This record gives sequence, C-alpha cells and structure tokens, in this order.
Amino acid sequence: MHDTQIVQAVWGGVLFGSVYGLMALGLTLVWGAVRLLNLAHGAIFVVGAYAAYWVVSSLHQPILVALPVGVAAAAAFAYVMHLVFIRPVLGKPGFDNSTLVATVGISISVSAAALLIFNPEYKVVPPVLSGSTIVAGVQITYQGLLVIVTSLALFAIVYLFLTYTRHGMAIRAVSQQMEAASLMSIPVVQTYGLVIAISGALAGLAGVLLSPSFFLNPQSGFNPMIQALIVTIFGGLGSIRGALVAGFVLGVFESFVEVFYGVAWAQPGVFILIIVMLIVRPNGLFGIGEVKRL
Amino acid sequence: MSVRAAAPTAIARPAVDQAAAPWRRVSLIAVAGTVLAGIALPWVLTRLDIGDYLITLLILFFMQAVVAQSWNLIMGYGGIYSFAQVALFAVGGWTTAVLASSLGWNPFVAILFSPVIAMIAAIGIGLPTLRLRGVYVVLLTLAFHELARVFTVTGPRFISGGGYGLVSVPTFQFGDVIGERRTIYLYYLAMVIFAIASFVIWRVIHSPLGVAVTALRDSETYAVSRGINQFRVRLILFAISAFFTGLAGGYMTHYNGGISTSVFDFPRLIDLLAMIVIGGWGTFAGPILGAGIIIGLDQYLVAIGDYRALFEGLILAGIAVFAPQGLWPLIRKTYDKYLGPEPPPPPVQADQPIAAAGAADGGG
Repeated sequence: MHDTQIVQAVWGGVLFGSVYGLMALGLTLVWGAVRLLNLAHGAIFVVGAYAAYWVVSSLHQPILVALPVGVAAAAAFAYVMHLVFIRPVLGKPGFDNSTLVATVGISISVSAAALLIFNPEYKVVPPVLSGSTIVAGVQITYQGLLVIVTSLALFAIVYLFLTYTRHGMAIRAVSQQMEAASLMSIPVVQTYGLVIAISGALAGLAGVLLSPSFFLNPQSGFNPMIQALIVTIFGGLGSIRGALVAGFVLGVFESFVEVFYGVAWAQPGVFILIIVMLIVRPNGLFGIGEVKRL
Repeated sequence: MSVRAAAPTAIARPAVDQAAAPWRRVSLIAVAGTVLAGIALPWVLTRLDIGDYLITLLILFFMQAVVAQSWNLIMGYGGIYSFAQVALFAVGGWTTAVLASSLGWNPFVAILFSPVIAMIAAIGIGLPTLRLRGVYVVLLTLAFHELARVFTVTGPRFISGGGYGLVSVPTFQFGDVIGERRTIYLYYLAMVIFAIASFVIWRVIHSPLGVAVTALRDSETYAVSRGINQFRVRLILFAISAFFTGLAGGYMTHYNGGISTSVFDFPRLIDLLAMIVIGGWGTFAGPILGAGIIIGLDQYLVAIGDYRALFEGLILAGIAVFAPQGLWPLIRKTYDKYLGPEPPPPPVQADQPIAAAGAADGGG
C-alpha cells in the first residue's frame, strides 16, 4: 500500500459517496413520504443534465446560468410526472404495481426522447469550477470538492427544512400518518407534489454537477440510479441520515476495491456487500421500521 | 354420490363447485381446435409468398410468450417484482451455447441442461432475495441482471467470446432437412415448448401452489396466518418460472446460432414488461395476448424507428396508471357480455320466509 493509493482511494470514495448520497437523498425522501419507488429518478437526473447542456451549448450561457435552469427543469419534470402519472393512482389498491411500471415507462420514454432530441454521443457539460490541485500525487479537482460540499450542504438544508419549516413538518406529518395529517387540514396531495418536486430538483442538481466527470448520454441516468437505490436500501429506506452514511460507506468501499483489486471488481463488490448486508440487517444500517419515517 | 360410494375402491370426493374451479370451464373442443390449427398453420402459410417470414414471426411469438408468461407467473400472480427474467433467459442461453460450442454436444442434448441450470440459478438468486419484499427484490434482481451482464462481457473466453457473446453456436439440424421444411420443424419445436409451458403454467396457477401465492400477494399477513410458508412457495414458483425462461433462452440460442450480450439491453426487458402490462397483469392469457400485440406491432413500428421506445414507454406508463388491468380482462368482459354462455342464475331460495331473511339481514 502506497500513500498515493490510499489518498486516491479515500478521495475517490468521498467523491463517489457524496454523489451517491445526493442521488439517494431524493430517492429516500420520496420513498419516505409518498411510499413511491421512483424508478424514473435516473431519468430526472438526465433531464436536468440535458437541460443544462442545452443552455450552455445552444444559448451560449455560462454554466452558472445553466445550473439553476437544469435544476428547475428537473423539478418541473418531476412535478408534471406526479400530476399525470402518480396522482391518479394515489391511495388506490394497485399503487405499487402501477407506479413501478409507470416510472419504468417514463424512464424509457425520457431516454428515447433524449436520443431523438440530442444524439447518442457523449456530451460534455462544463464544470462549474475548473482547475485542480495535487495532494500526495493525487489530482483533486475543484469541481469534485464542490460536489462534496454541495452534497453535505444539501443534506443539512433538507434536514433543517424537514425539521423546522412548516412545509417540512407537513411532509413529516404526511409520511407518518397520512389520514391524521389530512384531518389536521394538511393538503396531502399538494405535499406529495412538493416532495416529488424537491426530489426532482435534487436529482437535477446531481445531474448537472456530475456530468462533467461522468459524461452525459441518454442512458447515463441508469447507473447513478442503481447506485442510489443501493445506497438508499443500505442506509435504510426512508432514512436521510442513513442515506448520508451509507453513501460514504459504499463510496469508500467501492473506491478501495477499485484501487486495490481493479475496476472490474468495483460493482460486483458493492453488490456482494449489499446482498450480505440484506441478509444480516434486512432493514438497512439505520433500520427504521415500518412506522417511523423521515 | 351414493352411486360412487357404492363402488368399493372409489374414494368419495365432494362435488367440485363449478364456479370455484375455473380449470373445469375450459372447453376441450376449443383447446383441440387451437392445437389442430397450430399444427396445420405452417402448411397453409408456406403457400403464401411471405409465409416463411410469418412462420419465423410465430416462432418468435411462441418464445417471447413463454418468457412473458413465466415472468407474469412471478410478477403478476406472485407479486414478486423480479427483474432477473432476462438474466435467467441468458443463463439458459449461455448454458446450452457453451455445452454445444465448447464441448461439441448435440444441440438437442445441450438444450436439456438450460432449464435445469436456469432453475439452479433462480434458486441461487431466490435464497437471499425472496425473503425480502417489494423494493428490495427490485434492487437485488436488477443487481443480478447487471452482474450477469458484466460476467458475460468480462468473463472467461469460452463464455464471453471476447466480449460480444458466443456467435457460432450450432443450430438445430433435423437430419438433412433444409429450407422451408426445416423452418416448419423449428416451428413445431417452438410450438411444443409453448404448449407445454402454457399447460404447466395454467396448472400451476390453478393448483394449491398458485392459490397460495396469489393469497400471499393479496394479503401476506392473512396467508401466513393460514399456514402458508411464504418463502418456500415463492421459491418454488420462482424456480418453475426460471425453468421455462431458461428453456426459451436455450431454444433462441440454437435458433439464432448464437447469443450476444445485447440480450441484456434494457429495451428487451421493457418489451417483456410491456407484453405483461398491455396484455393483462396477473391473468393467464394476458401475456400471450401481449406478446402477440408487441410482436405484431413491432413489424409496423419499424417505420417510426427511434420513436418506438418513446411511444412504448408512454403507453406502458399510461396503461399502468389508467387501465392497470390491461387488455385481456376487457376482452373477456366483452365476450362474456355479448357472446358467452348465459351465466348460471344466482341461487335463490324462493320459499324462504321473508321474516327469516329480514332477521338474517339484521343479524349481519
């Protein structure tokens, strides 16, 4: 073990971890509040990234303008999805089946649409911060640092939002006891819409921030979504603290496997870890039961 | 009853309630007619100009319908959100491909191992997966799908074939038969597989196992409290589903003369899902109808090219949300309404005194 390798693994791990955490945050929020497994989360990620790419490449605006546009586009897309496909089945018996299939269908349509509007080539979205510094022989990009800081900040913001604001409390109330919440005149359906829009915004932000390092093509939402699913489940579905910790644990684990055993083992390693994890602790790291959520 | 009881060896069985025994409602004439039509069809089709093409489409239909039915068995009836179906198809395909191309086995012998290995793989996935619920199953089966894909790309050379899959697998040969007649034999082989799979799945659905698994889907707590071992029931169902999926995978491999890593492409999975959802989730005939629709439409949708996936996704989402039952129940209802036999009138006790009925109502 060389110092360089360890620094490389830790840096990569923390970077991946914050990325996974960012994606997982949106997923876990929606699961916790709406009980919706949003398999279109990766598609929303792609929507945000392509919107930013379009603003940069066609409108020739700086990335700092494109970033909010991408986030807004992703949030709007998620909200429309909620209006058209989620709202009609809310509270109906086949909610699980319908939303599972519907979100898969949406994600297919989005990548097909991206393929038609843009093309299958890999796009490069410029980083918000360029430049890098070298620590112990490892290149640390400023964009990477930004991703880590943003991710941590967003976890803090979402936590504070849920704990202290009116809308946040409404979300928690709805997720804990929907009927009681609606009796307290909390607008349940609007609250669901709000959660889904926030989750979309988070996915869009992840899309814009990650595309410089992972590149962008119509399919590129799939892998981050699978990783986010793994993180969400590892941390315990619906648990925000769990998503944060699990993101870093899995990121560092994957990064160490990658540095010391080769890239080919990174994903199988993570899968094997999660399978073992689910056998040992089926509710995840911060296994909150069926009752208490968020 | 008394007549049967008089015979010393016969076991007295209670009369089966016709309404509660749907497998009794199948008309033998209809089944025999369908089978005969299936046997006669290729001989008629070869007289047409595009007959060969239609026969290959039918072969494709049979195989896709087998996979869709197997998937529906666990997803629709079992309520297990497994996305490992394509991976199990690939396991079957690769098993027979390796046996036939690396060891030089006869395809007809090699294909017998595909369902078995697919079943073993399914039990391997099922052991950690099927104790979990909904979301966890989605994730773990998708993980298995992804692992299988990575393995077939980067695995040892006799499996990966250099990263593209196995491209020179021996095809089915029926002696010296070639051309049109060989296509017809291939058609019969596919039809036999389809018929056996459909029959077994039909029986499984209406067996105690099928009823148990449907009960688990609808109310897990209640089913478990009635003594259903949920893990075992689900594992057996998963294995049965994998058996036929693997067999279809083996057939397609020898039919195409190879299997490529593109079977893992997501659109393949979506096509199968669309068959189940459009045809009718959790109905016996739904996936078969869906397979027919998707394969039939596909020939027309080629013209719109890249828009196909866009529309397919939207239709999938639309049907899932606005008509979650799919097309088959709709057709069934229409048939029963206009063409079906009169349903037996509900039992009415005419001579029951009204006072007693009123008392029963009050008591309820």
